[in-house]
Amino acid sequence: MSAALQLSNVTKFYGTFKAVDDVTFSVEPGCICGFLGPNGAGKTTTIRIILDILKPTSGSVTLLGHSSALDVRQRIGYLPEEKGLYKKMKAWSVIAYFATLKGLNRKTAKRRAYELLERYGLKDFGNKPTDALSKGMGQKVQMLASIAHDPEFVILDEPFSGLDPVNQQVMEEIIHDMAKRNRTVIFSTHVMQHAERLCDRVILMAKGKKIFDGTIAEAKRVLPRRVRIETEDDIAAVRRMTDVLSIQQVEKTNGEVHKNGSSQWELELRENADPQAVLELCFDNKIRLRSFNQSEPTLHDVFVRLVGPEAKEASFR
Amino acid sequence: MKFAMLVAWREFAESTKAKGFWISIFLMPTMLFFSIQAPIWLEQKATPVRYYALVDQSKTLAPAIESALEKNYQRRVLEALGEYSRRYSAPQSNSAANSLGLDNDGEATTRSLDSFIAKGGKDAALERLKPQLKSDAPAFQSPRRPYQVVNLPPDITPDSNLPAIADALKPYLRGDKQIEFNGQPVALSAAILIPSDIESKVVRPQTNHASRFTHHALTETNSPASLSTIQFWSINASDPRLHDDIEHAINSEIRQREYATRGLDVTAIRQVEQTYAPFATLNPKKEKGKEAVSTADTVRQWAPSAFVYLLWLAIFVIVQMLLSNTIEEKSNRIIEVLLSSVTPGELMMGKLIGIAAIGMTMISAWMLAVFGILSWKAGGASVLAGQMLGVLKSSNLIPLFSVYFLLGFLMYAGFILSIGSVCNTIKEAQSYMSVLTIVMMVPLLTMTFIPKDPNGGLARLLSWIPLYTPFTMMNRAAADPPLIDLIGTLVLLVGTTAIALWMTGKIFRIGILRTGQPPKIVEMIRWALRRDS
Repeated sequence: MSAALQLSNVTKFYGTFKAVDDVTFSVEPGCICGFLGPNGAGKTTTIRIILDILKPTSGSVTLLGHSSALDVRQRIGYLPEEKGLYKKMKAWSVIAYFATLKGLNRKTAKRRAYELLERYGLKDFGNKPTDALSKGMGQKVQMLASIAHDPEFVILDEPFSGLDPVNQQVMEEIIHDMAKRNRTVIFSTHVMQHAERLCDRVILMAKGKKIFDGTIAEAKRVLPRRVRIETEDDIAAVRRMTDVLSIQQVEKTNGEVHKNGSSQWELELRENADPQAVLELCFDNKIRLRSFNQSEPTLHDVFVRLVGPEAKEASFR
Repeated sequence: MKFAMLVAWREFAESTKAKGFWISIFLMPTMLFFSIQAPIWLEQKATPVRYYALVDQSKTLAPAIESALEKNYQRRVLEALGEYSRRYSAPQSNSAANSLGLDNDGEATTRSLDSFIAKGGKDAALERLKPQLKSDAPAFQSPRRPYQVVNLPPDITPDSNLPAIADALKPYLRGDKQIEFNGQPVALSAAILIPSDIESKVVRPQTNHASRFTHHALTETNSPASLSTIQFWSINASDPRLHDDIEHAINSEIRQREYATRGLDVTAIRQVEQTYAPFATLNPKKEKGKEAVSTADTVRQWAPSAFVYLLWLAIFVIVQMLLSNTIEEKSNRIIEVLLSSVTPGELMMGKLIGIAAIGMTMISAWMLAVFGILSWKAGGASVLAGQMLGVLKSSNLIPLFSVYFLLGFLMYAGFILSIGSVCNTIKEAQSYMSVLTIVMMVPLLTMTFIPKDPNGGLARLLSWIPLYTPFTMMNRAAADPPLIDLIGTLVLLVGTTAIALWMTGKIFRIGILRTGQPPKIVEMIRWALRRDS
């Protein structure tokens, strides 16, 4: 099956500033793909290029088999990063208007608008002008407006920003619903938990470049596995293990006293190493453990590790 | 095109929900209605009868004043009768007004007034008009007297010295006290005090010593000189009519006496005073035998100015609408969603069509209202309304107006869309708008000059500047401008509008997604001229 979206060597200059730098990736149909990266990484520019709102300086985009998104605009849904609605229009009417721009006839568009409002808990607000809605509600209305025509391919730029946890859940539900119907969803976010919960794949960008592209599991493997142990004994034997890349003593935090003068150590293990081996070694060497803790890195850890320095730099730029 | 029409429909539907749209629709007809109706109301109701006291210690001028004021009143009665007969005469007898001897504008001449009085005044004239009136004509209502003389209050004797009388009258004039007329307390608005020795104070060109006639408002201090003049006391300095009428009456009387004193033939002099050469203004462009220029022609000459104003107002109002909703879409980023659904070209065209439809609706409503009000008023109360209606029906002003509105709107809309697309807030747009507003002020400033010399240098020059073509050519519409001007400027205007829209398309596409500081005008021009990448 051909990719729903294919970017090949896409580069975009604003004057002399390179906003997108030779980006290549593809997204398979029916996949939920997280598009991650710090502020100023080039995500929004890439999204605009995908939508053919902006022309790339070089490189090409193929979306649903067409070279311009405008050729297939009726099959695409888009929620931009900065949210806004026509203030005086009623909620249903905004949804229906955008749906008609996507090719639905007026009657169907109106029916779809009411259906969606009802399904996602906004039934009572359908006839209110959008400036009478709360920010979260407005954002949901805009989300519904972008998917009212049941698009095959949906691009959501920061769909969770500014939403309370309950509404974030509703938003996740909307995305899940689409995925269930085999729609392709690509969304950008700063909140890694959402990406972790929703995405089949993540693409990470920084400074205009793609720096990671793969599944969540693959992303987590980027970071060495960590094990935390607490003991009052000497851990020289552990240090000698070949699977241990590094050992660092965890400094006591304020107000916390390790019992009986014990110390905490964080071990970084080689890729594919088994944490159980550390436990066995301690047992064999009579190292008495007060605690043993093995944890997977989170996507957040991966993100910070991969883009941490750039993110800081970008925020000062 | 389908998508452009969807955008246009939304623009139209949403704008018609805005209060501003309805205010614009109703404001203009309301203003027109009041500008026609207000003078009528003022005439009928608003000006109260003004009561005045007359103290004539010379005992010679009071009758002359009263008869002169009476004659002025009879003039009003005669003119009201003319209006009445014009309104209620049976259709076949349009000579009713003429039988009163009024001129074409319904005004009384000295001769017709004398004849009206001599023939017995209102009652006799009504008697003569009766056969020509429609059977359902209501009874004639005489106009109210504008002035009414009142007697002095009982505590003031007319023979005491004038300063004492003036002092005693001041509380009445200031409104602290009210004077009695027909048993009703009324406000005294003026007092005229004539000293007994006024005859000796009359200014004669040969004499040097005499004092001068003057009037003194209450705010002035009493100088010794004023004691020997005729004094006109009043706190109302803004309405000079009573003062002027009385001064005119006294001076006429003084001159009559002077003629007699000098042994001149008063009748001969009156005849000489009424002698005149008939004078007609003719226009060679008019049909043979109908070359005389009438008030209707003056209306025809000036009517285009009203259209220029309307054109200006309509364009200004709706380009503002276009600006604010472009900036709305841009500032809250709806634009991005729109651009993922429609091309910038479709979006721009949709906005232009939508707003043009709003403009057309607005001016159609105005036109209907203008026709409605003029037709309603033309029947009776307003001669001017009838003439205006005639001009509108018989000229090509309305089709021209529609053409110039559409082209003018599209050209200015181009500029506005360029501005709107690069600005994120109305505030940012203001600096560009102030330039455009100044540019747009020129037609308003020249509006009154152009009809005076509609085919002159200034008019022609402005006509050939596309920015001003719609306004200036509209202004010249009644003066049959040369064909080269009419067609040449139209072609130039169409071309300029097309170029403006083409350049706007390019600026719009770049500007609409830009955030941050708006670009300099030079930069925008560079975008417009840049080849597509």
